[in-house]
Amino acid sequence: MAEFEPQIIAFTCNWCTYAAADLAGTSRIHYPANVRIVRVMCSGMVNPMYVFKAFESGADGVIVAGCNYTDCHYIDGPVKCDAMFARLKKMVHVLGLEEERLRREMISTSEGVIFARVVEEMVEQLKKLGPSPFKIKMETLA
Amino acid sequence: MNLEDIIQETKTYYCLECGKCSSLCPISRYDPQYSPRVMVENALLGLEDEIVYNKKLFSCLTCYTCQLKCPSDVDYPLFIQKARVLATAAGQHGDYAHSGTLQSIAMLMARSPLKQNRLEWLKKDGYRTSEKSDVMLFIGCSPYFEPVFEDIPMRTLNIAEASLKVLNSLGIEPLVHPDERCCGHDALWMGDVETFKKLAEHNATVIKESGVKKVIFFCPECYRTFKLDYPNYVKLDCEVMHISELLAQRLETEGLRFNEVKRKVTYQDPCRLGRHLGIYDAPRKVLQAIPGIELVEMEHNREESICCGTSCFTNCDSYSKQIRVERLLEAKATGAETLITSCPKCQTHFRCAMVNKGEEKGPDIEIELMDLVNLVATSLGG
Amino acid sequence: MEEVKIGVYVCHCGLNIAGTVDVEEVAKYAATLPSVVVSRDYRYMCSDPGQDLIKNDIKEYVLNRVVVASCSPRMHEPTFRNACQEGGLNPYLYEHANIREHCSWVHDDKKINTEKTKDLVRAAVKRVYHHEPLEVKEAPVNPNVLVVGGGIAGIQAALDIANGEKRVYLVEREPSIGGHMIQLDRTFPTLDCSECILTPKMADVGHHPFIELLAYSEVEEVSGSIGQFKVKVRKKARHIDESKCVGCGICEEKCPWKVPSAFEMGLAMRKAIYIPFAQAIPNLVTVDPDLCVYIQSNGKKCGACIKFCEAKAITPETLLNQTDQIIELEVGSIIVATGYDQFDPSVIPQYGYGKYDNVLTGLQFERMTCAAGPTGGKVLLKDGREPESVAIIHCVGSRDQNYHEYCSRVCCMYGLKYAHLIKEFTKADVYEFYIDMRCFGEGYEEFYKRLSEEGANFIRGKVAKVTDQAVTEEEKGKLIVVAEDTLLGRLIRVPADMVILCAALEARADADKVASLFTLNRRADGFFLERHVKLDPVATPTDGVFIAGCCEGPRDIPDTVAQASAAAAKALSLISKGKITLESAIASVDETRCIGCGRCEEICTFHAPKVISKNGVMVSEVNETLCKGCGACAVVCSTGAMLIRHYKPEQILSQVAALTEVL
Ligand SMILES: Cc1cc2nc3c(=O)[nH]c(=O)nc-3n(C[C@H](O)[C@H](O)[C@H](O)COP(=O)(O)OP(=O)(O)OC[C@H]3O[C@@H](n4cnc5c(N)ncnc54)[C@H](O)[C@@H]3O)c2cc1C
Ligand code: SF4
Ligand code: SF4
Ligand code: SF4
Ligand code: SF4
Repeated sequence: MAEFEPQIIAFTCNWCTYAAADLAGTSRIHYPANVRIVRVMCSGMVNPMYVFKAFESGADGVIVAGCNYTDCHYIDGPVKCDAMFARLKKMVHVLGLEEERLRREMISTSEGVIFARVVEEMVEQLKKLGPSPFKIKMETLA
Repeated sequence: MNLEDIIQETKTYYCLECGKCSSLCPISRYDPQYSPRVMVENALLGLEDEIVYNKKLFSCLTCYTCQLKCPSDVDYPLFIQKARVLATAAGQHGDYAHSGTLQSIAMLMARSPLKQNRLEWLKKDGYRTSEKSDVMLFIGCSPYFEPVFEDIPMRTLNIAEASLKVLNSLGIEPLVHPDERCCGHDALWMGDVETFKKLAEHNATVIKESGVKKVIFFCPECYRTFKLDYPNYVKLDCEVMHISELLAQRLETEGLRFNEVKRKVTYQDPCRLGRHLGIYDAPRKVLQAIPGIELVEMEHNREESICCGTSCFTNCDSYSKQIRVERLLEAKATGAETLITSCPKCQTHFRCAMVNKGEEKGPDIEIELMDLVNLVATSLGG
Repeated sequence: MEEVKIGVYVCHCGLNIAGTVDVEEVAKYAATLPSVVVSRDYRYMCSDPGQDLIKNDIKEYVLNRVVVASCSPRMHEPTFRNACQEGGLNPYLYEHANIREHCSWVHDDKKINTEKTKDLVRAAVKRVYHHEPLEVKEAPVNPNVLVVGGGIAGIQAALDIANGEKRVYLVEREPSIGGHMIQLDRTFPTLDCSECILTPKMADVGHHPFIELLAYSEVEEVSGSIGQFKVKVRKKARHIDESKCVGCGICEEKCPWKVPSAFEMGLAMRKAIYIPFAQAIPNLVTVDPDLCVYIQSNGKKCGACIKFCEAKAITPETLLNQTDQIIELEVGSIIVATGYDQFDPSVIPQYGYGKYDNVLTGLQFERMTCAAGPTGGKVLLKDGREPESVAIIHCVGSRDQNYHEYCSRVCCMYGLKYAHLIKEFTKADVYEFYIDMRCFGEGYEEFYKRLSEEGANFIRGKVAKVTDQAVTEEEKGKLIVVAEDTLLGRLIRVPADMVILCAALEARADADKVASLFTLNRRADGFFLERHVKLDPVATPTDGVFIAGCCEGPRDIPDTVAQASAAAAKALSLISKGKITLESAIASVDETRCIGCGRCEEICTFHAPKVISKNGVMVSEVNETLCKGCGACAVVCSTGAMLIRHYKPEQILSQVAALTEVL
């Protein structure tokens, strides 16, 4: 059987992490193709529901990434994102989701290398963990 | 099931078009675009699209106010439940409150095999539970509600903890199951029968394997679902009971003793416990058995009671808010210090109505809210 | 709803994409997706023929949605939106898939890349389905400008704008404009006299027909947004009749009450009624109500000034009953130029500031060498003697983890300036204690070289302490500066009569208040944050608010002036355009869904949503000129009433679901 290839959804803010991923591109920094990026304007825009939807649809891991505290285009988006993320983590924790499947990152415009590294690292971790528990549908009796 | 079948099953064809439902419906009172009568008429005219693609289909609280007064005994809430199945099949859904996270959590719970961490709150205190008990306390979604409603603030696990405390002091060390799932109430009423069935089957299996004879609920929605809906889908060989019923029963059989709690209270009948299941007396009996408690009724009580205004975390809107404001003003008008309810969701929605973070303020609707079991736990506690 | 018809365009980007992605296959695949009516691949989509493809297809296939899969949207989204618009389609009915930076350039397996590209295209198609046309709105710009702070930065900015014949309101907190620069004696590296170059500019400000100077005033409230700010200014009572005062100063001469002068850095006294310095603009006296005995005794004592003022500018009425005035202004943009504070070296007890009389700060020394200053320009010890040796300590509070990590940028240079002045005015030996000499500006290194030749002693080492505990005969009666000379690797003790501390420049003590007033951000070091450190250094995250000078961080006068002119240019370009394009992808409230809880109002950093009562129902309303579309409000809105246009749940969720869709 082919090796398990995890699917990762990354929500990245337009101004920093999305740009960092662009920079990884222009600098031709190679990283695994397992990640799909969703552009949002600000990490503070990420709704817990986006993350749930990703898992619901079969993602094995999710990254929520945006600016550092000091370079937010909207002043304090990352702080708001942190608050959302803390709540989200509590919810998925009760569901029994492994911690490694959900990452909060701050990657600034110039950190293409870091973006690539984060993806690499996560792919490796997820390969060890195997598919997300939410991928497995329950059998219906009826 | 098609529209025709639904009309048959819910006796909608008896409708006299008298409009009584619309005049009693709490939603219709505020939302000019919502009318149960028109919905029924459209069904009878065979205008399926008018029903299936109507967002207002998801506004009904399924509170059963209309059904109880309908001269033709049309089961409108059931009609709504079934019609939503059609809508769901057509890719329609209501406007989710909380961005749909609660719906999503229920859906994810319908996927196996989860290693939920739903009982961490149990580790905290010296509650007594037993894996071998023949009584089970159903916790439901409370562990999930906590982080969702952090900012309201609403601590649903408080109610779970109080229930456990109450059971312990009645000499019951119940089973609290780590692999319980959502009862499926919201999924069922929102037309997502697929998810509902999976959850029901899972819960039935878990209960069967644990060998318990009785399941106790502090949430009237879970209770109603187990009592009235599960039998249509799964086999459940055990007794189910709301904790207020258990308490009322013990009052009679054992003459429970409570410590004095001086407080003037009023009581909100949850739709599921009240109109759905006809349990009005049990909670009142319990309240009256606590020395020092003065129970005053709101203008609308028992069968006439007004719903807390939101159901299934869907179509929570300005009309829903107005219903809640109306109800809270009614509670305040009694002069009670505390509004008691025996449904965690009623409490959540009422508390949410009091969230008032803007500078400009609306009417003053602040009142203390408490679940019946929390009150009982206080008066039992030494 | 009209039927959705989507056109998909997959770009080769030469071989940049086509090299590692089978673009033809992707285009074929896209054609199979629901609602896609035309799907093409093309060598360079951004070229004119590429854009023409889109424009023609919009007509031919009656497209109402367009997806381009190419490079980063940060590069070409505007290009293709524009093409849509030219083709007659609302630019927001467009979606972009980034298959170059995020795919073809970063992964090398062509098969995998092709699959990933299909995912990205599919997600874009699903998302574009839910797009709605958005109106691009414009708002007019009020041509008046507010400048806050009348140091050299504020003065320069105000003059640049006013010379362009646009109205400027210049608000200065102190009785006179001038800021720190007017306290300086001579300015490095040219050593031209600060007063001589600044006072003409101050005078220009005073009588410029396009500048309204509001000195002794502070901004109290700012509302509105770019193009249309509303500002409330408190003009503090000077307790004199400003229209009558001629600034003769007779009152000051006669007033018997004194306190140490802030302008003279405590080296001289000023009266209860005073003009801070001779060339003050506006040239008016100000009464210090806390010190004025007439005011304090409620008119029972003193009153000397009333008697002596020939112009009748001071009366019992002005002294006892004059109150602050609130002035309301309307401006289109704001320049904040509130400058810096000098670091208080007494928090470093080892340096003995405040303990030993002859330990001075830089600004005190500036006053001392100034001909119009408290010593008449003489370098004197407290006891009136001339010093025989002077130690100058660099980096006091700068480049120090315990105080400020940053370099204050001007201290090395003014330290050198002092060495030169001491050599010029006295016969004293000069010792400069430095960590690194930073002489980066025009003529600065040359100045350093010149000073080395003038015979100043340079000691590389951070001073450990300044003490009066002599151990040798030679040290008796002197201050001893203890340091390691790191070049010699030896502990040294240098006896000095006078020690000058090159204290750091730090953010104003009230920077937090000013920041919240103008919705500015502060860096960890406390200074105001620019929008982009390299490419947008005078703009801030708040549109229409600019910053200049030392409020953004320590800098010298040339840099301050350059920034001030840059900020003025920004304000002028805004005025010259006359209108602003409002962000279209912003928040809007579905009133029937709103429960008026105010969560949105609470979380919004830009104060855009407000819950108000409409027909007795509490609902939120978004001020569209304030909203930036950050989306924070929609996350906390529990009902889903708050929606961010172009980022509505169905738009994002359909994209997310499509990305993981298992085929
Ligand atoms: C000891 C010393 C020597 C120096 N020597 C030199 C030199 O030789 N050459 C050189 O190039 N640079 C020198 N500098 C640096 C120079 O002082 C600064 O570059 C320059 O003064 C910065 O001007 P500014 O307008 O930004 O700030 P400031 O001069 O601080 O002016 C700010 C103004 O804003 C006003 N203000 C503050 N807050 C408010 C408010 N809330 N509302 C209204 N008004 C407000 C203040 O009263 C002040 O008038 C020296 C600095 C020091 C400390
Ligand atoms: S069930 Fe309740 S909300 Fe629904 S129509 Fe009847 S009265 Fe109205
Ligand atoms: S009332 Fe209930 S459903 Fe509505 S926002 Fe509040 S908690 Fe959510
Ligand atoms: S989108 Fe951001 S800026 Fe706009 S109202 Fe919401 S929180 Fe405020
Ligand atoms: S958060 Fe949502 S429901 Fe609450 S006031 Fe704002 S828009 Fe209305």
